[in-house]
Amino acid sequence: MSASTPTRTTNVQQTALGPELHVRVGPVARALVRRSLVAITRVPSALVPILLMPVFFMIAFTGSYSAITNIPGFPTDNIFNWFVPYACVQGAAFAGIGTGFSTARDIETGFYDRLLLAPSSRASLILGPVGTSIVRSSFPFLTVLPLGLLLGADFPGVLGLLILAFTSATVSIMSGLWALGVVFRMQTQRSLGLVQVGIFATLFLSIGQVPLAVMRGWLHGAARVNPTTNLLRMARQGFLGGVTWELTWPGLVAAILVVSGLGLFAVSGFRKMEK
Amino acid sequence: MESPIEANGLRRSFGDIEAVCGVDLSVSQGEIYGFLGPNGAGKSTMVRMLTTLLKPSAGRARVAGFDVATEADEVRRRIGVALQDAAIDPLMTGNELLHLQATLHGLGRKEGKERGRELLDRVGLTDAGDRRVQTYSGGMRRRLDLAMSLLHQPAVLFLDEPTTGLDPSSRLNLWEEVRRLNTEGTTVFLTTQYLEEADELAHRVGIIDGGLIVREGTPAELKAAVGSPTLRIDVSPDQFGTANEVLGRFGEQRPAREGRLAIGLDKGASRLTDVVRALDEANVSVLHMELDAPSLDDVFAEATGRRLEGQAE
Amino acid sequence: MTDLPIDPSSTIPKKAIVSGHDSGQAGIGAFLAMSRRAIVGFYRQPSNWVVGAAFPLLITAVSASAFSRSTSLPGFPDADSFLQFLMAGTILQGTLFGSITASTDLALDIENGFMDRLLASPVSRVSILVSRLAGAATFGAGITVLYIAVFTLFGAKVNGGLAGMLVMVLLSTIMAIGVGGYGAAIGLKTGSAEAVGNSFPLIFILLFMSSAFFPVETMSGTYKTIAQYNPISLVIDASRHQVLQGFDLGEATKGFVIAIAFASIMIGLALSQLRSRLADAS
Repeated sequence: MSASTPTRTTNVQQTALGPELHVRVGPVARALVRRSLVAITRVPSALVPILLMPVFFMIAFTGSYSAITNIPGFPTDNIFNWFVPYACVQGAAFAGIGTGFSTARDIETGFYDRLLLAPSSRASLILGPVGTSIVRSSFPFLTVLPLGLLLGADFPGVLGLLILAFTSATVSIMSGLWALGVVFRMQTQRSLGLVQVGIFATLFLSIGQVPLAVMRGWLHGAARVNPTTNLLRMARQGFLGGVTWELTWPGLVAAILVVSGLGLFAVSGFRKMEK
Repeated sequence: MESPIEANGLRRSFGDIEAVCGVDLSVSQGEIYGFLGPNGAGKSTMVRMLTTLLKPSAGRARVAGFDVATEADEVRRRIGVALQDAAIDPLMTGNELLHLQATLHGLGRKEGKERGRELLDRVGLTDAGDRRVQTYSGGMRRRLDLAMSLLHQPAVLFLDEPTTGLDPSSRLNLWEEVRRLNTEGTTVFLTTQYLEEADELAHRVGIIDGGLIVREGTPAELKAAVGSPTLRIDVSPDQFGTANEVLGRFGEQRPAREGRLAIGLDKGASRLTDVVRALDEANVSVLHMELDAPSLDDVFAEATGRRLEGQAE
Repeated sequence: MTDLPIDPSSTIPKKAIVSGHDSGQAGIGAFLAMSRRAIVGFYRQPSNWVVGAAFPLLITAVSASAFSRSTSLPGFPDADSFLQFLMAGTILQGTLFGSITASTDLALDIENGFMDRLLASPVSRVSILVSRLAGAATFGAGITVLYIAVFTLFGAKVNGGLAGMLVMVLLSTIMAIGVGGYGAAIGLKTGSAEAVGNSFPLIFILLFMSSAFFPVETMSGTYKTIAQYNPISLVIDASRHQVLQGFDLGEATKGFVIAIAFASIMIGLALSQLRSRLADAS
C-alpha cells in the first residue's frame, strides 16, 4: 500500500535552521582536534607508541652512538645534547603519521563524508587535523625532554627551549600536511606506507644523526639541501651553545617554505578528493 | 515555488565509465521520494551529487533552491544526510557526536546541547547518550545517525539505505520516524533496496538502472502500468461455463490451472465488487477468490529485467 | 569442526593427510610438503618481504655515509670501512624483519581455519610447526646471500671467504627459525596475525640494543652491559668475525651455540603454546 499524497507544504527557506547559522573555522577545527584527542585517550594502547617510541629512539641513539662525539668536527661532547632535540623533532614528525592514519580511517569508514557535508569552511578540515598533529607532537616533547635532561642533556635556556618547542610544532605541521596531502589523494590506509617512507627519508637524509662536517659522500650532498637540516640546526642551537640569529633565520625560512609547499600539496589533494 | 530537488541532464563519469548518464528529476515540496536501484545502477553516485559530495561531470542540480556545484555550502546548510552504513565514530559517545555535528553546523554550545537532548529523546536514545557508540546496536546507530542529520533542522533529508541490515522491529521504528518528519514538512529523498520500504513510505518512486531513471511515478501508477491485477476464482465444474462467460465481461482470460478461472481485471481492484455482483446475479457460487496485484518487484523486474537484490532478506 | 578452508597455495598431498602416520616416510613426505607450502606461500606475497629486504639496505646506505669516519674511533674493530663493519648487523636485521613477517602466516592459518585442517591430520605437531617456519628459514638464508652480494658490489668483502659466508648463512637460517618460533608462539597464543605484527617493536628494540649498528666496545654504562649480553650481539659478533677477521671455527661455534639455544627456546615456547591451544580446544 502506498503512502497518501502529501498535502502540507512548507517553504524550504523557512524550515531550515541552517541558513541562519554562521559556521566559523576556529570552533570546527577545535572540535576536530578534541575528537582526535578523545579517540587517543579511549584507546590507551595507541598512546604507547606515541609516548615511548621517541623515548626509545633517544635511548637507542645515545646508547649506540655515544662515541661519535669523539669524531673530530662533532659540535658537542655530550651525546644527549645532540640526540634529545632530534628525538623531540622525530616524535613530532611521527605525529603526522597518526594524523594521516585517523584521516584515512575516517575516509574509509565514511565518517569523513559527515565532515564534508557540513557547511563549515574547508579550511577547518585541514586545520583541524593539523592542530591534532601539533597537540600530538607535544606528547613526545613532554616525555623525551624531561628524561633527556635527567639523563644528562644540558638545559638549553628558556629561549632554546621555546625554539625547540616551536620547531617541533612546525615539524608536526609539516608531517601533518604531508600525510593529509597523500591521504586525500589515495583515500586509503594503505597510503600510510608512502607517508612513513617520506617522513623517514626526510629525517634520515638530514643532520639527524651526525653533523654535515662528519658526513661523507652522497649523504652530505642530500643533507645539505634538505630543509630539515636547517630546522634541526635551529632546534639544537640551545643545546649546542647559544641561540643565534644565524642559526635561526635559515630554519625560519625553511619552515615557511616547506609549510607553504606542503600546505599547497594538502589543499590541492583535498580539491582532488572533492572532484 | 521551486522544487526542493531538481536535476536536469545530470551526468557523472569515472574515467571511461559513465555512472549517471543524464538524469532528470524533480521532487516536490513535502514529498517522500523513493529512489530504487540495484547495486552499481548509479544510485549512490546520484545521491552523492545531490548532497554535494561529488561534483557532476555535466548537467545541473538544485537542492533546496541552490546549485549543488556552485552553491554547495548553501545546499549543505539546508540538507540533512543519514549515510549508508551509519558512519559513526565508535569511540565517541552519542552526546559527543551530536556536539561535534552541532559545531560543524555552527550551532552555539547551548543551542547545540538543547537540540541534541531533544533529538536524542525523539529517537529514544536519551539513556544511551553517554555511552560509546561501539556499544550501540545497529538500530541505535541508525537512530543516532538520523538525530545527527536533523540537528540543524534541514528542509530536505537524504536517507541513504537507512534500514539496510536492521531487524524488522527497528525498521518499523525508523519508518515511523521518517513519516513523522515528513508530516512536519521535511522533504525526504530515500534510497533503498527494499521495495516494501519504498512502497510503505514513498509518495513517488524513481527506478534507476544503468545510470538512467527507467521508471518514475507513484507506486500505484507504476504497478498499474505493469498490467491489471489477476483475478482467480474456483467454482464447481457445472458452473464453469457460466462463470467463464461472466468473467469475460471484465477482462481478458489468463492462464490458470485446471478447475480455476483467471482474468486480468480491467481498471483494477475497483471493479471487484462489480464482478462479485455479476457472478451473484448469474447464480454462480464462488468456492475461492483471490486478487493478485502486481508488486513493485514486478515493476522493477519489468523495468530492469531482473529482481532487486536484497529483496529476499 | 566445520567449514575447513582450502589454501590455494597448498601442495600437501592428500595421501599424507588421510593415511600418513607420525613417523617414517609418510611423516617426512608430509613435512616436506608442508614446508614447500610455507615457502611458496611466503614468496607469493612479495609485499611481505620486499620492503623487509629493502629497508635494512636503505638504513645501511645512510649509516655508511653518516658514520664512515667513526672507524677511527678508539675501540672500533679493525675494519676496511664502516660498510664492512655493518654487513653482519644488516644481514641479521634483514633476517629478523623478514622472519617475523613470515611467522604471521601461521597466525593467518589459525585465523582462516587452515590450522584445523593440519591438526586433523595424523602428522606430528612438531612437523606442523617447524615446517611452517620453512618460509622464514629460506628467507634468512636467501637474504644473507643477497646482502653479501650487494655489500661485495659496494666494496665490502667477507674476509672469511666461502667458509665464512657459509657460517653467516647458517647463523641467519637458525636465527630466522628462532624469530619465526617467537612469532609463532605469539600467533598461537593470540590467534591473531595483527598481534604477531605488533610484536615487531620488541625485535627492533633487541636489535638496536645490540652490536648491530655500532661496536659494543665504543659504548658505555648500562647500555653497554645490555648490548654485551644481548644474545643478538653474540650472534652478530660471531658473524662479524667471519667478515672482518676471517673464518674462525671457534667464533662460529660460539655463534651456533647461542643461535641454536635461542631457536630451541623459541620453538619450545611455540610448542607449549600449541599444546595449550589444543588443550583449550578439546
